[in-house]
Formats: sequence, C-alpha cells, structure tokens
Amino acid sequence: MAEVEYRKITKRYPNGVMALKEFDLTAADGEFVVLVGPSGCGKSTALRLLAGLDRPSSGEIYIGGSPVTKHGPGERDIAMVFQNYALYPHMSVYKNLAYGLRQRKTPRAEIQRRVHEVSDILGIAELLDRRPAQLSGGQRQRVAMGRALVREPQAFLLDEPLSNLDAKLRGQVRAELKRLHQRLGITSIYVTHDQVEAMTLADRICVMNRGELQQVGTPQEVYEHPANVFVAGFIGSPAMNLVPATVTDGQVRVAGHPVARAPDGHTDVVVGLRPEDLVVQPDGRSGIPVTVDFHEPLGSHVLVHSVLGDASVPVVGEPAGIVVQAGADVRPAPGQRLALAAEPRHVYLFDASTGAALTRDGRAQVIAS
Amino acid sequence: MTTSASPTIPGRTAEPAPAEQTHEHRRFRLRRPSPWHLVLIPISFILLFPFYMMVVTSLQTEAQTRRFPPLLTPPTPQWSNYATALHAAPFVRFMVNSAVVALIIVVGNLVLCSIAGYAFARLRFAGRGLVFGLLMATLMVPFQVTMIPEFLIVKWLGVHVWDQLGIDHLGALVLPTLATAFGIFFLRQFFLTVPVELEEAARMDGTSRLGVLFKIVLPLSLPALSTVAAITFLDAWNSFLWPLIVINTESHMTLPLGLTTFQGSHDTHWELLMAGNVFSLVPMLLVFLIAQRYFVRSVAATGLKG
Amino acid sequence: MATATTAPPAAPGTGIFRRLSRSEHAVGWAFVSPAVLIIGIFGLLPILWSLLLSFQKSDLLTPQTPWVGLQNYKQIPGDATFRLAIEHTIIYTALFVPCTMLVGLVIAAALNRKVRGISIYRTAAYVTMAVSTINEALVFMWLFEPNFGVVNAGLNAVGLPQQQWLSDPNEALYVIVAMTVWGWTGFAVVIYLAALQGVPQDLQDAASIDGAKRFTIFRTITFPLLSPATLFLAVWLSINALQLFDEVYLTTRGGPLYSTTVVVYYLYDQAFQQFNAGYAAALAYVLFMVIIVITFIQFKVGNRFVHYNR
Repeated sequence: MAEVEYRKITKRYPNGVMALKEFDLTAADGEFVVLVGPSGCGKSTALRLLAGLDRPSSGEIYIGGSPVTKHGPGERDIAMVFQNYALYPHMSVYKNLAYGLRQRKTPRAEIQRRVHEVSDILGIAELLDRRPAQLSGGQRQRVAMGRALVREPQAFLLDEPLSNLDAKLRGQVRAELKRLHQRLGITSIYVTHDQVEAMTLADRICVMNRGELQQVGTPQEVYEHPANVFVAGFIGSPAMNLVPATVTDGQVRVAGHPVARAPDGHTDVVVGLRPEDLVVQPDGRSGIPVTVDFHEPLGSHVLVHSVLGDASVPVVGEPAGIVVQAGADVRPAPGQRLALAAEPRHVYLFDASTGAALTRDGRAQVIAS
Repeated sequence: MTTSASPTIPGRTAEPAPAEQTHEHRRFRLRRPSPWHLVLIPISFILLFPFYMMVVTSLQTEAQTRRFPPLLTPPTPQWSNYATALHAAPFVRFMVNSAVVALIIVVGNLVLCSIAGYAFARLRFAGRGLVFGLLMATLMVPFQVTMIPEFLIVKWLGVHVWDQLGIDHLGALVLPTLATAFGIFFLRQFFLTVPVELEEAARMDGTSRLGVLFKIVLPLSLPALSTVAAITFLDAWNSFLWPLIVINTESHMTLPLGLTTFQGSHDTHWELLMAGNVFSLVPMLLVFLIAQRYFVRSVAATGLKG
Repeated sequence: MATATTAPPAAPGTGIFRRLSRSEHAVGWAFVSPAVLIIGIFGLLPILWSLLLSFQKSDLLTPQTPWVGLQNYKQIPGDATFRLAIEHTIIYTALFVPCTMLVGLVIAAALNRKVRGISIYRTAAYVTMAVSTINEALVFMWLFEPNFGVVNAGLNAVGLPQQQWLSDPNEALYVIVAMTVWGWTGFAVVIYLAALQGVPQDLQDAASIDGAKRFTIFRTITFPLLSPATLFLAVWLSINALQLFDEVYLTTRGGPLYSTTVVVYYLYDQAFQQFNAGYAAALAYVLFMVIIVITFIQFKVGNRFVHYNR
C-alpha cells in the first residue's frame, strides 16, 4: 500500500523565498502523478521534500500511510532518478545497482538476482562491468533507472529524467517508461517542465506555478477544463490563444464579434481559444476578424499567425495575436483578412482579474466520464 | 478510470491576509544560527593562535614575557617595542629590499614567461618540443642539486660581467628566477584555451605576432597572469635558502634573512623578536588577503591537474 | 612559402618546418630566448655542472677542482652523519605527510558548507600559506619555549611534566613536524576543499536515498572521489618533506646532538660550512634520485587506487 500524501506542505528558504505554499496532494497506490510547471514553480522542491533531501517548513508527508516527515532519505523506502543521473563514477554499473541493497544488508544472492533481473528488463545486462564514463547518455539513464528499480521501493521519484537526452531518444525512453509503469505499477511522482511528457505519461497531472498548485486532474480534464488562465495557457501545444474581450449587450465579444453569452456579474473577461479549435470561415460567413501576419507549414497542418482586428474596427492598445491551426492546404497571404469561428463548447471564459475559469453558456464543467 | 480527488481550484493570486504576513515575519527572525559554528570556531582558533600569541607577545615588556605561565594578553601594550625593533635592525631596509626583489621577479616572469609561453603555445619553430621538454624537466630537480653551481655562476657573473649581478648584490637574488618553468607551463596552458580565431582575425588585419600577444591574448589572460604574479610574489618574498647563500651584508638582506640575523642578535628578547616577526609578516599577509582569490586558484589548479 | 615544388626531399621530421618561412622560426626563437636563456643558465646548466662537481673536489673558493672520480659517492655509505640524516628525514616525512593530509582533509570537510560567514573561516584556514618559514619558526620557538612558552604552560595546567622541546634531542624533530604541519595546513585545505567542491551534491543525495549514513557516504563515495587530490598531496608533500631545510636551520641548526639533522641541512653544511662542495653535490644527486624513486613508486601505487572523474 504505497500511497503518497503531501499534507499542507509549505517550504520557505532562508532567504525568504516561498517555494511551496499550502501544497496538498495525494497520489494513490500505483498512480503515475506528474508535477509540471515552469522553472521556479516549486515542483523540484516538492520532489526533494518527498525524498527527504530537504525538510518542509510546515506540514506532513506520508508514505504508505505512515508519516515520514522526520525520516531521512534512506528511511523512506523511496528511490529517485536524478536529472543528471548521479551515477557513482568510481563504481561499475553492477556496483552502482547494488549499492542501495548493500546498504540495507541484503544477502549477496538476493542482490545478484535482483540486479540481473532489472538489468534484463532495462536491456543493460552487457554493461554490468563497465564504468559510467564508458556509457552513452541513454545507457546512463537506464542505469539510473535500474538503480532505483532494484530497490523495489514504495514510491519512485523522477526528477526531469529525460531532459538531458536528445529529442529522438527522449521519445523512445518516454515510451519505455510508460511500458515499465504499466508492467510494474509502482507509485511514481514525476517532475518535468515539458507538458508533452506530462500529458503522455501521467495518470494525473498537477500543474504548478510559483509554489502553488493550479490544478490537479487527468490529462484530459486539464486539457478540456482548465481551471485558470495559467493552466489554459500552459497545457496544449501550440498554446491556447488568450485574448481580451469586451462585454456588451449581454454578449462577450472578441474584436467586436460575439462569441458567447456573458456570464452574470462579470464584465472583465479573457477569452481562450485553442488554435486547433478555430476554423477559418469561408468567404461571406461572419466570424472573429483577424489580419494574417505569416504562416508556418508543418506538413500535416498549417499554423497561421495573425493579428486581431481589421482596419474598420478600431482596436485599443496592442493588437493581440491569434494562432490558428488550419488544414494543410490553407495558404493565406500576409495582410489577408480572415474570419474565425469556434464551437461554443470550445470557447473558454476567464475572469480577467483573478484568472479563474468561468462557466460558459450555462454549461457546467463536466468531469470526464 | 481516474479517481478525481478534489481538484483544487485556486488560481487565486491575491495577497495573503495581513495576519499571515506578520506571522511569516516572526518566523523569519527566529532562524537559528548553524551548529557548524561550534566546530569551525575552535578550528579557526587553533589555526590562528600562533598569530595571536605573536601579536600579544610583541606588545609586552621584557619582564612580562618572562612570566610563567605566560600572559595571554598584554597588560600594558608596549607599542614602543616596534620602534625599538625597527631601530635595532634595518627592518625597513629589509622590507624595501624584499619588495624590490619580489617586484622585479614578478615583472620579469610576467613578461618573459608570457612571451615564451605564447611562443610554445602558438608558434612553430624548430626544436620547440625538445626545448619545452627540457624546461619542464628542470621542474623535477630539487633546488639543492642546482644551488651550488648557481652560486658559482652568480659569483662568476659578478666578477666578469657586472658586479651588480654577483654575490651579495641585487642581481644575484633576482636573476636565477627571473623566468620560471612553472610560469611558462602555466601560461602556455592558459594561452592554449584562448580561441585561435581571435588571433587569426587580428593577424589578417595586419597585426604583428607581438602585437597579437599584447593586444589580444594578454588582455584575455588577466586571471592567469594574476595567478602567476601571486605565486611568484609569494615565492620570491618568502625565499630563504638562496638569499642565505648569496647575501652577506646586512643592508642587502631581504626580510626573511634580515629577521634571522635579528634573531641571532636578540635571541632572548622575545618581545622584540615577535615585534620584528609581526612587522615582517604584515606585508605578505596584506597581499595575501587582497589577492586571496588568486593564491587559492593557483594552488587548486596545480592540485587538480594532478 | 614558395619552395614547395622545387625543395629537395625533406629530412624526416623537418618537412613541415622547411615549409615555414625562415622568419617564423626566427620569431619563435626570439620569443623564447630570454626565458630559455635564464632557465638554461640557472636551471639546466647547473644540473649538469652539479653532476660534474660530484666527481670533483671543490671548496667553492679556490678555482682548482681536481677530478676525483667516484670517490665522493664511495664516501657516502660510510658517512655516519649522513645515515643519521636519512633516518631523520624519513621519520620526519613519515609523520609530516599523513598528518598534514589528515588535518587538511578534516578542516576542508568542515569548511565545505554554506554557513554564514564561511569565507572568513576559509580565509583563516588558508592564511598559513602566506607565512614564511622564518615567521613560522620564530613563533613556534616562542610557543615551545621551555621556560616561558604556552605549550609547557598548557602541560602544566593538566598536570603533565614540562618538556625541553627544541632543546631535547628526543623531541626537537617532533616540534619541527608540528610547526611544518601548521605551515602547510593552508595548502592542504585549499587542495582538499577544491576537490570536495568538485564532488557533485547529487551523488551524496543519491547515496543518502540509497540508505547510506553520513560517514558511510564519506567513506564510500566522497573519499574515493578525492583520490586524485590525495595522490597529489602525498606526492607534493613528500617531495617537500624530503627537502626540509629552512625550519631546521632556523631553529636548531641540526641539533641538539644532530637530532634534527636532515639530508638537505647536512648538504648545506657540507657545501657552505665545511667547504666540501663536491661531496655536497654528490649528496644532492643521491637525494635527487631518491626523490624520483619515491615519487615514481607513489604514482604507480596511487594509480591503482585513484579514480579520475571522466
């Protein structure tokens, strides 16, 4: 039973910086939870607190139901994969894998069995006699994972393990991680700044910013029902367009064009529209007016970068940008005027001052079935 | 099938309530100092104790120094001890000599070793490898092997070339270490790391080799030059055996040597000896404190290169 | 640079140099000449001259230096004082080197943390590097003064008998060990601290998560990774220990009763006070050979245990 729980954790550094504020999270047994956010958001701090490499300023941490806040890293039955792998350079791969077990006085035969088992699973069996310096980046990464697996811990902690790999390798290892988790089912807490990794690997994603949890949910939930502008703008690639809107006559309008019914009591609204949800209207049909800036052909589709508004509708301040994901055959010329539309359920509304999501068009937020 | 633990919907970016703020302030001030101070302070104390005793003794009267157990503070600080010591032996003269010698050696090394180091790093000429190897070999040989012939050479130079180069003169102190294999080695290593493209660009603009060295490479090499300067200065200032061999006249002595003769003539006047000691320690200590960075870097560099 | 097609076949190894214009060689030599001249005259020449001198009889005063072949060298094994000098030098080295390394390591480990004001503590540790041998000798002579010194006062305070220290043939050498360890501590601390800072924190974190306790982490992870620094210190300190001179000259002049006579002191005495320069040169060469052998052995042994990162 390896449930992991953060209860009301705060962490403040001696220089006054508040790294984590009131952090609450429970990862169920066997769940793969990803902490994602920009640098400085507190995700690595949260991981280190779970590992025991740092103490929280307040709050409790539980692993497998028992409080471990006072325990050192060696007493928590967790294993960690470091961003830079942290392999012991003066030991062979075998000794690296065996180190943790030797510290726990595991009998020799058992160590051998586990090391060989894990190195077979990870495909590093031929490397056991080599030193880390003789291995490639991908091999070192596997040894780092092996060292963690061999311990058969209650929880698996991973600190941006893929960020030092080149793009192609990253994709491969990501898939292997997914397979490994399906096979072994160990509770895992994974930290990354890459939202693609988060979306593909997580059972649940925790989006963090500036030490605060922004939203916790499945990848689908976080994508379809972002709780605030930060999450909306962070998840999804290319990023969601967030544009200012005006409320007149009970309608929310973007560059003058109505997109949704105005929710009660809010007059300052930000509208979110994902590039892949926007459709270029055929000539004649009305829609949000934009002027094309340039486009990026990507083979399967085209990204059209445009500027909100056209000459006839005066725009106050800097014109906002909109990116549209269009079919591969769309080739707009710079300066061309387009009209864009989106289905009502793809129009997101956020309060302009707090950033919180607003229910739109009377449709309540639905949890994925 | 995901368990939806209550998705927290914060997104509040509002400031914490005033009560929370003062609470945070209070926690801030109660931070405990690290317990490591309890270890570091005794260690520092033991290391610095000799300095402390030096200063304390230098400010005592002769009678006070002859107390047992010795006094750990000067009851009536005798600043006059310093005046007495400075009169009893020409300390200022010693210091000036040391300073002159050290400065000449440092300048000499910086100039000669830069030029030579640059040549070994960037220029190609017949016999380059052999000469470099021979120079490096001299680093392996202990001073005692070469000191006798060096003495004889310096003596010969003084008689047959220019008396300032000879025994008991400035030249004898300065000449043998005016360029060191260490300096050449260290600077060459550094010059090798300067991007060749910079030099090539300058050469294409018509700069001479020497010009490239002085206008391009040296300005980029200030840390390495400072390090060589620091180490060379330390060695020159604290050098004892060689001055002992070549200098006889008191007025030509450098500080370490001068202090030794002072010791010889005042050997039970501990208060004066310590005054002289402190006096001769202060300049090097100041230089060290100011240029600490470079000393540390140079030592660490030699150590880590193995 | 136009000699390519008609140049005669180049002698092996000089091909590329032939293609360089003469001025390039000249420039190169012009640059290195001053330094080479100095080091050649005061470094290389003396090495050879010293060898020659060891086959001669010289008193440094009269120009006549008759050739005596291997006589100087043959005299060495029978020289009882020299044997004593060797013995003392070995004892000194065997004590000085490990003590300095241990002290340096302990202090460096204590200094390797981010405590407020750590740079002050570090400066305090480094500062002994700036002290010259005479400063060091003077202050330690005072601290160990038999009648008025602090050390004897300390012994008195805990009820132990007072010692004669530098005046006692059985103790003088150990006082010199103490003073030189103090003088070299700064150096050892710098080396070890730099090496410690090169050990990534990640490794210690990983070991910690693997279940190792503080001291185990130090023993199994940190210390092995310090091995290049350890080897360097062992070699460098040994070389310097075998050449001990200044402190002996300044405190005891080799006494009392020759108890602090070490090889280089004996050498100095022979050359500049007994006027046996030829014999001294022979002794110097013997010392040189010993240093080479010991250094070589240390490297060979060391390389089996040293782990170089990367």
